[in-house]
Amino acid sequence: MPKVPGMVKGLGVTFKTMVDTLKPSGGPVTVPYPHVKEEPTARARGVIALHEDNCTACMLCSRECPDWCIYIEAHKTLAPPRRAGGKPRQVNALDRFAIDYSLCMYCGICVEVCPFDALFWSPEYEFSEVRIADLLHEKERLGEWMQTVPEFEPYEAGSEAKPKKVPAYDPR
Amino acid sequence: MTLTESQQLAYVAAQAADARVNLQFETDDGMTLNIGPQHPATHGTLRIIVRLDGEQVVRAEPYPGYMHRGYEKLCEVRTYPQVTTLVNRIDWLGSFANEVPFILAAEKLMDIEAPPRAQVIRTILFELSRMANVSLFLGDLGIQLGGITIGFYAFRDREFVLNQIESATGGRFHPNFDRIGGLKDDLPKGWIAETKRCMERMRTFCDQFETLVLGNEIFQARTRGIGVIPPDVARSYGLTGANIRGSGVDWDLRRDSVPPGLSYDKADWKVHTHPDGDSFARTWVRLQEVRESTLIVDQLLDAIPSGPVMAKVPRIIKVPEGEAYVATENPLGEMGYYVVSKGDLVPFRVKIRSASFNNISIVPWVTRGVFVPDMVTILASLYFILGDIDR
Repeated sequence: MPKVPGMVKGLGVTFKTMVDTLKPSGGPVTVPYPHVKEEPTARARGVIALHEDNCTACMLCSRECPDWCIYIEAHKTLAPPRRAGGKPRQVNALDRFAIDYSLCMYCGICVEVCPFDALFWSPEYEFSEVRIADLLHEKERLGEWMQTVPEFEPYEAGSEAKPKKVPAYDPR
Repeated sequence: MTLTESQQLAYVAAQAADARVNLQFETDDGMTLNIGPQHPATHGTLRIIVRLDGEQVVRAEPYPGYMHRGYEKLCEVRTYPQVTTLVNRIDWLGSFANEVPFILAAEKLMDIEAPPRAQVIRTILFELSRMANVSLFLGDLGIQLGGITIGFYAFRDREFVLNQIESATGGRFHPNFDRIGGLKDDLPKGWIAETKRCMERMRTFCDQFETLVLGNEIFQARTRGIGVIPPDVARSYGLTGANIRGSGVDWDLRRDSVPPGLSYDKADWKVHTHPDGDSFARTWVRLQEVRESTLIVDQLLDAIPSGPVMAKVPRIIKVPEGEAYVATENPLGEMGYYVVSKGDLVPFRVKIRSASFNNISIVPWVTRGVFVPDMVTILASLYFILGDIDR
């Protein structure tokens, strides 16, 4: 029996792939993007959302950021006491919380170091701007991203970690 | 101000060195050709200046440095957890593999060992990033040689590997998932089953590649006997990874000296070598490497122990005084970090030994007397990533 040339065998592969895409189980592997959006996974690092109530302006995120793109300004104020008859508490009120996404490296260190769970990752990726200065998101815009934060996924069997809770979005 | 004669001469010599390329253009013997800085065969911005005699290469000299980002110096002003963000970007196709040796060096200095579950997951992600890296090489080699199809196939199946990396770490290209003393997070539910399906796909891709490209007569004619590197030359130029295994040297850090913190010993696999040392051998070895990687991942997925993924480490990481060198077998070859610590929050000095820089050092030797179209084959089969050369 004569040897089948390698090129013919190779064409068999391309032919089979072509037939596979025509099958109902196959189909195309790409999506026409602006019309159909691909869904990123829940853990995907798209944009950082801020839950303002949890933030105490402790500056940990802004200090740990590798390229220092988080800007925080706060002032001290007195909050009403927790129990009746107690002393008023001194708290930090957040004046400004901004992330400059033109500098951000999307490393996630700020989300990780936050001790009060004020920052969350959202898989949302459509926030490109025409002007680079518009990529500076102030706290109002960062707060709106909280709507897009998905619930934390449960863990694989054998894990000892517990999924965290995402606080409910409250529009201001 | 008047210059002395020696100063003038030194100035002229410096100018001449800067304009070396322009001077070469004006020489009479043969022709000078610039491959790059932007050329599809260079995976980035590498400039190779080639002196030609007709169609034959007299001498080719790589000029790296167009993508130098100063990571060794930047590491000195970043704390240990921040460094992983930077070193992700060295070899951008297999990012997770870049973090691991640095973290292992820091763990060695701090005398911490990651929990067994973290070690196994770390090894799985390491192999996934190897697949993402090498499958791009396999597709890209086809594109260099004029076959677009395999490029599309490679990108199609590589996407599934990247999806797995993303769903575990959150980042497709820059995972930043490895931490001193373990991992950032545990795996999400359903990841193991999905990864097994992905490994099936990768094995199908390997079979397709073997039939479509390796068995192709044109491919064989263009790669067999082209760019032969004998074993002793490969050793003397410091080649690592699949390049040296393609020359028949049985050398793999995953088997020979696996640093504590990775669990390759839990899987049963073997190292492939090819005696020829030509472009075909290097491609063949890389293809087998992807196959073995899928097998390693499959075995390790079944062997993930339960438990925590993070050891007890202080919140503010201060690494005690000392120095450590840890090297692992990265997709491109041996990658090592020499970390010197003075007991501070930041490393005192980090020397990064990346594989591609040594791998391209053989380009002047291996391209003597080859023809220009073969040069593209040789460059593609040596497989370097520009970020890995320049850091």
